[in-house]
Amino acid sequence: MLWLIAHREFRTRTLSKANIISSAIMIVLIVGAAVILKPILSSDDEAAVVQVDPATAELVPYLEGVAAAQELDYVIEEAEVVVPGADGEMPEGVTAMIAGTATAPELYLGGGDGTLVGLVDDATRALALETEVTALGGDPAAVSGALDAAVPTVVMVGDSDDFDSGTFFAGLVVIVMLFIILIQSASVIMMGVVEEKSSRVVEILLATVRPATLLGGKVLGVGMYALVQAASMVGPIIFAAWYLDLFATLNLEAGPLLVKFGVWFLLGFAVFIVFFGGLAALVSRQEDIGAVTTPMMLLMMVPLYLAIYLVPSNPDGTVTQVLTQIPFFAPFMVPMRSAFGAITTAETLLAVTICLVTIPLLTWVAGRVYAGAVLNTGGRMKLADALKRG
Amino acid sequence: MTTLEIDGLTKSYGTVKALQDVSFDVPGGELFGFVGSNGAGKTTTMRIILGVLRADAGVVRWNGAPVDLGVRRSIGYMPEERGLYPRMKVGEQLVYLARLHGLSAADATAAMEHWTEVLGVAERRDDAVEKLSLGNQQRVQLASALVHGPDILVLDEPFSGLDPVAVGVMSDVLRGQADKGVPVIFSSHQLELVERLCDRVGIVKSGRLVASGAIDDLRATDTLAWTLAASGVGLPDAPPGVSVAPDGDGRWRVEAESADAAQAFLASAVSTATVTEFSPVRPSLTDLFRDVVSETEEVA
Repeated sequence: MLWLIAHREFRTRTLSKANIISSAIMIVLIVGAAVILKPILSSDDEAAVVQVDPATAELVPYLEGVAAAQELDYVIEEAEVVVPGADGEMPEGVTAMIAGTATAPELYLGGGDGTLVGLVDDATRALALETEVTALGGDPAAVSGALDAAVPTVVMVGDSDDFDSGTFFAGLVVIVMLFIILIQSASVIMMGVVEEKSSRVVEILLATVRPATLLGGKVLGVGMYALVQAASMVGPIIFAAWYLDLFATLNLEAGPLLVKFGVWFLLGFAVFIVFFGGLAALVSRQEDIGAVTTPMMLLMMVPLYLAIYLVPSNPDGTVTQVLTQIPFFAPFMVPMRSAFGAITTAETLLAVTICLVTIPLLTWVAGRVYAGAVLNTGGRMKLADALKRG
Repeated sequence: MTTLEIDGLTKSYGTVKALQDVSFDVPGGELFGFVGSNGAGKTTTMRIILGVLRADAGVVRWNGAPVDLGVRRSIGYMPEERGLYPRMKVGEQLVYLARLHGLSAADATAAMEHWTEVLGVAERRDDAVEKLSLGNQQRVQLASALVHGPDILVLDEPFSGLDPVAVGVMSDVLRGQADKGVPVIFSSHQLELVERLCDRVGIVKSGRLVASGAIDDLRATDTLAWTLAASGVGLPDAPPGVSVAPDGDGRWRVEAESADAAQAFLASAVSTATVTEFSPVRPSLTDLFRDVVSETEEVA
């Protein structure tokens, strides 16, 4: 029975034209963005070509040395450099040219590559230093060895798991996706509930099934729909991240991220959607939905914004810790705080437990509101009246 | 014998008393007509039978036991406010509803095919309900009440908005269900139809059942009266115990102390004039309804 209702709900929502089109657009946008971004993000990978005039060839080993020390990737080739005019153009495929003399090189740059200036600067200084050391009768190798060894040892004191833009970004992606999917599912379940009310089919349904079963079936069906939605969003995003090599760049692991998203998706979904379903029964017409749900939407915005703005500035303050344990806040607070490494396992477990305990309670309240209000037609019903009747 | 018993239903909405101690029985195989003004309590009674509303007091029994969810699932229900998923296909929708009532997928499909055929909407199975005309939507609505092979039928205004052909189809179906032993309760404002179709009726007014019983019993009156229509020379004088009063052109109202006296008068009338009609005068359901309802208030 529950399954029949869930199945119908899932089919109707997932196979609706609007849904197929919007999902397709979403996938195309994410994958398309990845494809477009790829050449931009990876253009640095191709080593820029620097032409060095034979007259300054003495610089080449120093340039290569400094480039290697700084992990810069340049192709340095010797060639007869034809110096371009100030408003002339660089030859095809060449980023920079070095002419002049080894001790006073002239650098011609084809783009704003500031790194090269530093590179040439360092190389020239190294050459000058070596020349001077040799002239003073010293050993250049010993000098550079001594210079290389003169490095301070750095010890981080305190929380080693400090702010990391990569995990912050990942946490942000998780809660924003959660928010988008919750908002989407909330509007879907509300439309579903009100559609049944306004078409009066609910009266036939309630003659066969209990209100709680009907609401439960709808929540389950919309849940499956939301999972498909989430997959059609998370799939392309993971693909894009893999294609753009973001996991390596941001130092992320896809597995734990997915688990985090999965757990809080389920908990957040249960907490919010069950309640939205119950509340939607208070109204009879599609155009009245807003009156009941605007407060709920705002309720969802609050934890999202708090998670985004409060957590970075105060990842383990008292307010943050308290909010973490409130079911409506937890789905947003926990992923964000764990991105900052500012949450203990005990806190996470407590938040999960509180959510798990609250869900049946919320379901009961929502079921009561639903049962009390679902046959009421005409104006909007007061919450207290619905609870009384349910 | 299977019987649906409605026993002492009472229901208030705030200060409005929607139902006060409404009781009646509908045995299996009977068509029970439920009539009353708008707002009299018909829909409330039906909703309570279906468990869609809760009564403040009273109980609905089926074969002696209070109706529970299991029994409710075997009721075919047509709510006053028609309700189907507007964008779902007719066939799909009927199969879904049948399965919600506990039929297997195969049985549900077979039942859907049977009832769409019988009700003349077979070629619309693949259309969304909202694309159908109102009359056809009504047929689909009836199909949705029948598709799970109900043991009890509760239909709120099944005839409203139907054309005469559809009324005929609907009547036949209801009669057919009753003949199979199903108790059928339906409400209607079309009193002639109720009179023709039903075995018994219940009249509700302001939440009270003010009359209920077999139509013939309700129509029986203390005075015996006939309508006589005749043409020709003239009527004989009324014998003792019989009174004759003109009732329009060529028509008379004949009241007699006994049926025999009336027969004797008829025999003498036939010998002096051409009698074209001699029929008992009994109040129609409409008259009964009007009498009952207008005792304290006007028909809404």
